[in-house]
Amino acid sequence: MSVKADANNTPAILTDITRCIGCRECVSACKNVNNTEPDKPRRWQLEDGLSSRNWTSIIEKEQGYVRKQCRHCLEPACVSVCPVGALHTTKEGPVVYDSDKCLGCRYCMMACAYGIPRYDWDQVVPYVRKCILCADRLKEGKEPACTSACPVDATIFGTRGELLAEAHRRIEENPDTYDSRVWGEQQLGGTRVLYLAPKGMDLHFLTYGQKVQDEPLPATTRTAMHAVPFAFVGMGGAMAGIHWIVKRRQKLQGDNPQHTEPPQTPEDGGEEKS
Amino acid sequence: MDRVRKLKAVLWAIVGLGLAVGLTRFAFGLGATTNLTDAVPWGFWIGFDVMSGVALAAGGFTVTAIVYIFGLHKFHSIVRPAVLTAFLGYVAVVLGLLFDLGLPWNIWHMIIFWNPHSPLFEVGWCVMLYLTVLFLEFSPVPLESTSAFAKVRRFLVKMRIPLVITGIALSTLHQSSLGTLFMIMPYRVNPLWYSSILPILFFISAVGLGLMMATFESHFTAYFYRRKPETDILAKLTSWSRWVLLTWVVVRIVDLAARGLGAEMFSLDGAMLWFWVELLLAGIIPIIMFSLPANKVSHQWQWTAAGIGVFGVVLNRINVGGFMHLDRGQAYFPAWTEFAVSAGVVAFIALVFLFFIEKFNIWEERPRDPGEKPEALPEFDKASGATLGAPNVFGRYAYSMVFVLATAVGFALLSNKVIRSEGVDPAPVAEARGGDTLWVDGNTDGYGVFFKHEQHAKWVAQTLALAEMDVPPDSLALAEAMERAGTVSEEAVCAACHHMNLPADETSGCYQCHADMYSTTDAFRHDWHASPAGAALACAECHTPGEVKNAESVEHNCEHCHKDLVPAQATLAVENYGAPAYAAAMHDMCIGCHMEQAEVRNRAGLAQCATCHGTMAQEFVDADLKSYERELRGKGVILPMPQLEEN
Repeated sequence: MSVKADANNTPAILTDITRCIGCRECVSACKNVNNTEPDKPRRWQLEDGLSSRNWTSIIEKEQGYVRKQCRHCLEPACVSVCPVGALHTTKEGPVVYDSDKCLGCRYCMMACAYGIPRYDWDQVVPYVRKCILCADRLKEGKEPACTSACPVDATIFGTRGELLAEAHRRIEENPDTYDSRVWGEQQLGGTRVLYLAPKGMDLHFLTYGQKVQDEPLPATTRTAMHAVPFAFVGMGGAMAGIHWIVKRRQKLQGDNPQHTEPPQTPEDGGEEKS
Repeated sequence: MDRVRKLKAVLWAIVGLGLAVGLTRFAFGLGATTNLTDAVPWGFWIGFDVMSGVALAAGGFTVTAIVYIFGLHKFHSIVRPAVLTAFLGYVAVVLGLLFDLGLPWNIWHMIIFWNPHSPLFEVGWCVMLYLTVLFLEFSPVPLESTSAFAKVRRFLVKMRIPLVITGIALSTLHQSSLGTLFMIMPYRVNPLWYSSILPILFFISAVGLGLMMATFESHFTAYFYRRKPETDILAKLTSWSRWVLLTWVVVRIVDLAARGLGAEMFSLDGAMLWFWVELLLAGIIPIIMFSLPANKVSHQWQWTAAGIGVFGVVLNRINVGGFMHLDRGQAYFPAWTEFAVSAGVVAFIALVFLFFIEKFNIWEERPRDPGEKPEALPEFDKASGATLGAPNVFGRYAYSMVFVLATAVGFALLSNKVIRSEGVDPAPVAEARGGDTLWVDGNTDGYGVFFKHEQHAKWVAQTLALAEMDVPPDSLALAEAMERAGTVSEEAVCAACHHMNLPADETSGCYQCHADMYSTTDAFRHDWHASPAGAALACAECHTPGEVKNAESVEHNCEHCHKDLVPAQATLAVENYGAPAYAAAMHDMCIGCHMEQAEVRNRAGLAQCATCHGTMAQEFVDADLKSYERELRGKGVILPMPQLEEN
């Protein structure tokens, strides 16, 4: 659990759905800080409001407003699948994107259970876009644009440990108001973006209705990936062994494979006639 | 050679069509040429070109294993075609991938930036290495016809066994790792396909497919080159593939049962249907067909059975690759352009394959090139009797013609929408409705703004007065500004928001020039200005003589001539003849002023989205608008609108 203990010192966001008034200050702050162009509805967008130009959005539900953004998983699937490491976790914690490395395979978009990364489908030189937890601002000692813009402190910034403690404190103080879970505490290995939901609200719509495991997603491919060198050596060795046995047997039986060859392909059978 | 020539003409046509679309893809992007969405970022180009392409090329390692490792030399005649098919198959995979990757020029990054945790990294490396191995395995064949590289060739032939073994090991890795790719998506891949043994299932089916593909390809070329099909050898091959396929079917069903999904196989939904179609085509039907006595004697029978099996396994790859993924709110079906590119790649590779067949000793006897027959009589057009020249010349004419024609047809079929890379249809803007309270909702989706015109005029007057006073904007100053507001001229107030009206029209609506919700529109009626019935302007009155006549070469804008139409003190300038999109224009104007005033008056609430798009907007959304919205949503249009009801 040392990974988690370390992770609790990394920056995190807690969004309290009961407090959000849906003003979208966070959305416009995000757009201003990250200089994302104005968006327009496109064929390829989802209804959740996220796009390559909207890195956070407000989803209006009956029980409250839910701010959607990258969850900054402790063990992100997108980072583990990126073949060139364009998506990576900085040492401060945020999961960020290096557009210079990216080759545009979009595996990250397929792997993310929250469906967060979005693509510049309309661009000739397209990039993957998502919330980067204002990594540059964090380095300057500032907090992310969205949390600093929130007029009602519905979404707050802190270390993961602090925010988890705060979340549990709120639940304990108002057990009738809050759902007893802190969303993101355990799911898929835990996330840095945490949610407090009002009582009776189910946030599984953030994973497209799927109830997700507590195990981090990269664990699902770990066994198979660890088997790779063994499979290579094993298969290679087996083939070499079979070849040796077969050849020896043919030799003992005096069955020279070269007899079966057509004359115009002299190299067949493995040995060249000079 | 008539069959081959017809085949080549068709292939050239498909390549032409694919070329038109392929060029468009690079000129205008993925959004313009695919139906991919943020919910479905992998589509047909991954499912077919990559996933199926790699599997279809599995004949290379299976056949080389049979001949060189297991020493079954009677299958020797199919080694060369199988290795060639595999080599070109992998070339096709890489070619197809170049269209699918967003930044294909960065494909080499995998060589220098490593992430060994990624299954895709492993697949990428294996494909790179295996492509090299296949190249080395195959290159002795073309080198036969030259004595220049005799040493190289002899070395490669000596290296054959190590190469074959490396090839098999690499194939084992990436054929199975293509399954590993999807293991990180337990919440995306349909449970009937998702399994923790996907890599094993992929490997088994790849071996089965490799054997069937070798059979299929052998019959395919035998038909087109009118050769005698090697039915007896291939019967043996197919009878092995039957056991492999049977293993696949059994492992698959046992795995499903072990995961407690036995009942899902009979759940009577769409996924179940596809599951059974796939199981029948990729497993049960070919297994039965290969087991019947007809398989030993009839090449049509073998051809059909292998074809069904090949199609079935390809379907499996497409299903796992994206077709059988859980719904994330966006349905996907490939655009015709996606099919065109994939078909173009396959056709191109097929042509290269035929080229190799005709130029090198892929078979023990080489098919005769019509060009090598000097005694062949010239051909004549049946209708006109015109001479078409020698058969090979005629062939070249015909291929070039269908290729060029098909390319032209391809470009013609690409719609303007695609060329503009808009992705969405134009969204014409509706006029604002209402009396003093205007309902400003350009695309009539209900997510608009109630605009109190008279009240805004008062606020604008107050703002102008405040600016004139040049004092700190405290509450005292605001109160005084309110009193002074009456003295601000009406013209100045109007000019704060309205810039220019059309001639003879004092209240032109914004929508008349900002005519599209999200795209810029042309606000200048060129034809009318040039026509004698209109403004009757000569070219030189706007354009500099001798320069290209386009909008950019005109130096002045509307105000240059229509001075009377621009209100004095206008704050909004007309910079060119293109009017910005309606949404952008409205947002710029309102938000700009609101943000400023939020600061001046210290009222943060002024600059929030909800200040304008608040509950008022929702109240206006009556039953009619709701149904309109539903209709639009049905078309896949995404509306930036509050959810009115839980769906």
